[in-house]
Amino acid sequence: MNCEVCQLKELDVEYFEIREVLRCILHTIFFHRALGLVRPKDVDLELFEITYVQCGDAELEKKVDEKIDQFIDRVEKHPNKKNQICLSFFEVKNKQATWFTHKVEHLYWEQWYINLNVAHHPKPHSGKSHHSKLVLDPGESALDERNARRATLESSLHEVLFQIIKFVNEKKDHIPPIPNMEGVSFPYEITISSSSDSAFGMDMFKRMLQTGHPTMLS
Amino acid sequence: MAVNTHSEPAKMEQIITEFFAKSLHIILESRCPFVSSRNYSGEQLHSTSSSASSSSSIRPRDKWFNLALRDCPAALENTDFWRQSNLEPMVVDVVLVQRPNWDYVSGSSKVAVEQNLLSKDRFPVVWKSDCDEFGCDGYSEKVIERWIVRYESKKGCKEGSLGNKRSSSITSHALYKKSILLLRSLYVTVRLLPGYKIFREISSSGQIRSFSLIHRVSSSVEPLSRRDEAEMQQFTFTPVDTSCGKLCISLLYLPSISDTTSESSTPMSPQFITDYVGSPLADPLKRLPSAPLPQYSPSSSPYGRRHSWSYDTSMASPPSSLPSPSPTYSESRALYSKFGSHRPPISPRYSSLEPAQVHAKDIGYDEYFPSPNFSPSPSPSPPIGSGNMLKVLLRSDSAPVYIPASRLGDAPLSSNKAVLPFSPPLKAIGPSISLVERSSSIPSTATKLSLREEEISRPSGVKISSSSSPHKSSFRSFSRLSFEDSYDDSEFSGPFVVDDDDTMDPGSRPGSSDRSGNLGMQHERVKSQDAAVGALVQMLKKAPPLQQDLNRSQYVSKTSRPEYSSNQVQDHPPRASSNMSSFSRVSGIKTTADALEELKGYVDVKQMLLKQSGKP
Repeated sequence: MNCEVCQLKELDVEYFEIREVLRCILHTIFFHRALGLVRPKDVDLELFEITYVQCGDAELEKKVDEKIDQFIDRVEKHPNKKNQICLSFFEVKNKQATWFTHKVEHLYWEQWYINLNVAHHPKPHSGKSHHSKLVLDPGESALDERNARRATLESSLHEVLFQIIKFVNEKKDHIPPIPNMEGVSFPYEITISSSSDSAFGMDMFKRMLQTGHPTMLS
Repeated sequence: MAVNTHSEPAKMEQIITEFFAKSLHIILESRCPFVSSRNYSGEQLHSTSSSASSSSSIRPRDKWFNLALRDCPAALENTDFWRQSNLEPMVVDVVLVQRPNWDYVSGSSKVAVEQNLLSKDRFPVVWKSDCDEFGCDGYSEKVIERWIVRYESKKGCKEGSLGNKRSSSITSHALYKKSILLLRSLYVTVRLLPGYKIFREISSSGQIRSFSLIHRVSSSVEPLSRRDEAEMQQFTFTPVDTSCGKLCISLLYLPSISDTTSESSTPMSPQFITDYVGSPLADPLKRLPSAPLPQYSPSSSPYGRRHSWSYDTSMASPPSSLPSPSPTYSESRALYSKFGSHRPPISPRYSSLEPAQVHAKDIGYDEYFPSPNFSPSPSPSPPIGSGNMLKVLLRSDSAPVYIPASRLGDAPLSSNKAVLPFSPPLKAIGPSISLVERSSSIPSTATKLSLREEEISRPSGVKISSSSSPHKSSFRSFSRLSFEDSYDDSEFSGPFVVDDDDTMDPGSRPGSSDRSGNLGMQHERVKSQDAAVGALVQMLKKAPPLQQDLNRSQYVSKTSRPEYSSNQVQDHPPRASSNMSSFSRVSGIKTTADALEELKGYVDVKQMLLKQSGKP
């Protein structure tokens, strides 16, 4: 079985925007992957004029929020620029004990990488920079800049949502049979990784070693 | 899953059929405001008490594709055709219907009412804003989305033998799963398109909208105009293969709705109105230093809606008859709330289209405000009004044209499911939200004319019916009240009149002649003696009611203030003359001699004022 990987476009967000952005993206993915019976729930973002869809599954919602809390926590403690959340879907295979010791195996069939570039205000170097990470600047131009930045983010988020839709549309063959549970997604896990630019690849690599490379599992 | 008991081909066919039904349901559920139960009340949005959890009963229909949707009668009544195993394409057009634009701006409601009181049939056009889109000409229609759901069978495959030949390669389960995925994408996509914002706008608030969404479901593709098509973007969902063909959903949509509005057939576009209503409200203070015509109209009050009055009052109302039918008021409010408060956030997303919009706006602006005097003023309503007023009056002479009628002729609608935009409530129709209510009282197309008259006679009720909000009832009564008020010129007990009193600058209160008289002497006015002004105000307060004033004020502004008409409003003379003609047609109560008499009186007063203010 193939593991399809989707790297979503990186978004420049501010700290306070993380929650909404992640909710929007994660739930949109889940809506396409919770293939049991769902009663969709429309949610309007507060910061952006975007409506996304939830599965209407309270359990799932709770878990997503927990993960987001976790993520925000981590961003706060380790203010790295680049942050990544990976949503992976897998199948659980009870492997017979052969030469390998694992009893339960996760067969990853899909991974979504959400890339966030979180701006941190207190950083001194970001004072008047032209970078998209925006700073709390009490001046007049700051407001304009802020609005412009917000608009940019909104349109980027919009793009990401369409990226999800396109991916879902194009890749359908790798999806395992629908589990016989109502409204519940395929088994999934959400992992968080944040690191500085240089260590980023290393982190990924480590994670790959831990979980096993997807293609090795098929 | 509901596909257990049949043979594989039968299952496939059933899936395909249900796929059509579900697609339509998904699309209409989020484009058909009348049936929407979308809970859009801010607080609840993130709570768990949404419709998702509240209605937990699961109907068989919900189980299809594991997607439980809200009820959507419009979708249900349209799916019969495709349920009969007709694997024909399903074309769903989502159409934005806009009322003619000049209605908001012209502030001509007063005149309109009078005209209609006297001759309902002669000036039906004027009534358009106050009746509804049903059967009225001038409504601009724009296809903002076209969904095409179709099953493409492969050559050599016949529907009857679905799945026979290659049933091994694609099972019904695989088809079902992929259909689920496609429908999920569809569900999300529908909410990301600009059209959804319009739907939200219409279904979320209690305000009367100047626009509505209707839909047409048909099995044949009615070609769009090349121009329309060029503007639209295409989005194609990846088809789902069946054993004997594929299921496709494709979409043409307008990437920017405000782009649409600039396309409307009348030169006055909502774009313009955005400017017009929004800017004073957006920055009321900014207007003060730059506005060249502070006394021109009550527009000096810092609220956007004042501007909807300005033209009205400046040309038509004596001080005692400020109220005019509420439609103007509500229209402008509605418009404002849409374009004023919601447009800015929308635009960045479709930023590529912004330059065009801005450009269009500029053109419109220039067109109406050639005078440099005017350009900084965010209170463009008077000239707009005049330009439009002219159009109204010109157009009012021609017989009403029914767009729907012509559509009936043009449209190559071959199927019995073809839905005509304004045709009456036969079952095949996908009625628009706003049309639904109405249609129940309308027996057939043939009665369109009589319907119009009926609407004219009780416009407020009909009009309000387009509001699908919780505030409906209050709006209805409000509107009716004010409408009734408008029958009686001397009465003004409408709630908003009081409002006006609260905020209006006493200096700008006086009636139209004062206003026009002041136009050319802003500087003097500043210095003028309060006493003189007070006297004038007193006099104007005692002035006779509207109709006489109409003539007077027009006359004054036209004859005695040439600098006004040339500097401030270039197309003023035509406006005045056209108004004059219509008034004489309409009222005919006062003779020209009377008018002249009174005019002289006012001119004298003005001269006196000028002297007084010039000397000290």
